[in-house]
Amino acid sequence: MKSGIKAGIVVFPGTNCDIDTQRACEYFGWETEFIWHDEKNLDKYDVIFLPGGFSYGDYIRAGRLAKFSPAVIALKDYVTAKRGFVVGICNGFQVLCETKLLPGILSTNTNTKFICEEVELSANHSEFPKTVKFAIAHGEGRYIADEEVLEEIITKDMIFLRYKDNPNGSALDIAGLYDKENKIFGMMPHPERGVFAETGNTDGRYFFQMLEKKIIESCTCNCAAMPCCQGEDC
Amino acid sequence: MKKYKADIIVTLRNGVRDPQGSAVDTVLKRTGVEKEAEVQTGKFFSLSVTGEDETSAKSKLNIICEEVLSNPVLETYKIERFSEV
Repeated sequence: MKSGIKAGIVVFPGTNCDIDTQRACEYFGWETEFIWHDEKNLDKYDVIFLPGGFSYGDYIRAGRLAKFSPAVIALKDYVTAKRGFVVGICNGFQVLCETKLLPGILSTNTNTKFICEEVELSANHSEFPKTVKFAIAHGEGRYIADEEVLEEIITKDMIFLRYKDNPNGSALDIAGLYDKENKIFGMMPHPERGVFAETGNTDGRYFFQMLEKKIIESCTCNCAAMPCCQGEDC
Repeated sequence: MKKYKADIIVTLRNGVRDPQGSAVDTVLKRTGVEKEAEVQTGKFFSLSVTGEDETSAKSKLNIICEEVLSNPVLETYKIERFSEV
C-alpha cells in the first residue's frame, strides 16, 4: 500500500526514537524524511513527528531547550497555517507543552522512577477500540495544569488517551491530548513501538491508521494527491 | 556597558508536588538526624549578563529566567547575589 503521505521526523541532538518512528511510518507506506533541528521550513510535509528521546540532554527541563530550535519555531508557522498534523511522542509531547502548542506541562513522575512498561489506556476516539495497550518509557510524564486549563481541556474534549492505572500521577489520568482545532497530538505513550508483530504488541497501528485517515481527509486540493499540493499543482 | 553577575534559584511553585523533595525528606527521617526537614528541591544557575545599568541587566535576567531557565506553569525563580563584576 502506497499512500503518498509525506512524514517529517524532527531530530534534535539527543533524540533516540527517530528510527522507530520512521519504520512505523514506512510500515504504512508513508514517505519519510528526517528533519535536522535547524531546518526552517516544514511546508512539504503532511505530518510532522517530534519523536521520543532526550532532546538537548533534557537539560534544564525535558523539552525546554528544544523550543528554541529553528525547526520548532518553524513548527509554529506550520500549525498557524494549518498545513498538516503534528504528533509529539514522549519527549515530543514535552516539547509541545514547553512551546505552549499544547497546554500544561510534564513533570517528574510521582514515584520519582523512570517507568518503562506497557500500560492500558482508555482511548477517546472513534477510530480506536475502548482500551489499547501502549508502551511508556519516561521519568517526567506527570501531566500538570491549572484548574482552569484542565476545565478547558475537558470542555474542548482534548483528552484522547487516559491511563487506566495512572502510573505517574498525571492530572485527570491524562496520557495524551488532541487539539482538534490545531491538528496537534501529544502523548507520553509510544504508538510507534506497537506496530510490528515482533514486538508483541500491534495496538500502535490504530494510531497510525487513524492519522492516515485524518491526513487524507484534511487534503483540500482538487487533485487529492499525497503529499497534498496545497492547490499549487491542480 | 557593564557586566553583572547573579545566582538564580528555580523551585517548584507552591502547591506543586515535589516528589524528589519528598524522597530526600523520607531519607532524612530514616537517618534520624532531622524528622521535620521538609526538603524542597530546585535548580541553581550562576551567570553573568551585560547591561547599561542595573535595571537593564535585571530585566535581561528576568527574560532569561522566564523564557529559558524556568517554566512559569510549574516553577518560580529567585535572583540572588546580584552584583556588578
